[in-house]
Amino acid sequence: MTLVWPAFTILVYFCSKWLYARTRKLYLTPLVVTPAVVIGALLLSGSSYDTFDRGGHWIGEMIGPATISLAVTLHKQIHVLKKHARAIVAGVTAGGLAAVAVSAGLARLFGLAAPIVDSLAPKSATTPVAVSVSGALGGLSTITAVATLATGLTGMLVGPLLVRWMRIRSSVGRGILLGTAAHSAGIAKALEYDADAGACAGIAMVCTAFVTLCAAGPIVALFR
Amino acid sequence: MKSAKKIVKITLQVGFFVVMSRASDLAVEALRLPIPGSILGLLALFALLELNIVKLAWIELGAEWLVAQMLLFFVPATVGIVRYKPLIESSGAAILVTILLSTAVVMTIAGWVGERLGKASREEAASL
Repeated sequence: MTLVWPAFTILVYFCSKWLYARTRKLYLTPLVVTPAVVIGALLLSGSSYDTFDRGGHWIGEMIGPATISLAVTLHKQIHVLKKHARAIVAGVTAGGLAAVAVSAGLARLFGLAAPIVDSLAPKSATTPVAVSVSGALGGLSTITAVATLATGLTGMLVGPLLVRWMRIRSSVGRGILLGTAAHSAGIAKALEYDADAGACAGIAMVCTAFVTLCAAGPIVALFR
Repeated sequence: MKSAKKIVKITLQVGFFVVMSRASDLAVEALRLPIPGSILGLLALFALLELNIVKLAWIELGAEWLVAQMLLFFVPATVGIVRYKPLIESSGAAILVTILLSTAVVMTIAGWVGERLGKASREEAASL
């Protein structure tokens, strides 16, 4: 019985992946469709989240190995970082610090509760890092996971508009813009420009994770 | 037969990442490090790759598979949102506006700085 939910989740995931590959519609991304279908099925069958989690928690535990595998991305693209070190380090540091400060500041301004402020602060980092930073700050991992997903989708929608309005023409600039703000969703979008933009976005994502890891604590403390 | 061999390879290599993940979680716990286990693992593996102790070919297929299925691993966390219905009703709009505005601001800053310095370094390279 405990294998029904994870098996269903994986089946829905691969179906939605196939659907997304065929249609390329942003709202059909597997990360929106799969949870939506699984939540729908949970509600319809009257099952609780705990039932789902008992069988399916190991799917979420694969985030650890997947994060470590980013070392391979970093290793393969380190030459991009070396070539554009100044632009990437400066752009990512400025953007990464702003991400935490603006998210926490706005959340505070809107009167959101402290755990929600903590949950939103690291959302520009790649999800595994965002979730673990959020946990260390006192945030809720689910809220951070969903907020990080929403950030990625926002970035995919707004990023190309900003690239046009700001007349960002270099692959480096485009990659940094997308990778710093919108993690892996940003990389996917950057790859639609060219391979260089994708590589810069990949490096920007990894660097943003480190900036968030180091700076989130002290910055969020300013907004308490 | 070729694809069966590939599946075995991917499985073994993903197994390597799972073992590495467990080991780095344990190391972070034992040494009381202030970073997540997965980040320690990422840094350790990056060092091993750069030093050529671990060869790229040993783990490349597994890494590609893990990165390609990354979205699947976040599904459980996202499904967890069903437990937060009251929060979504009371604060969902404010959270959404925060996400929209902050993402736009971050993109503007990162893109502007990156574009300026990216261009500067290219012009420098061209003038050499």
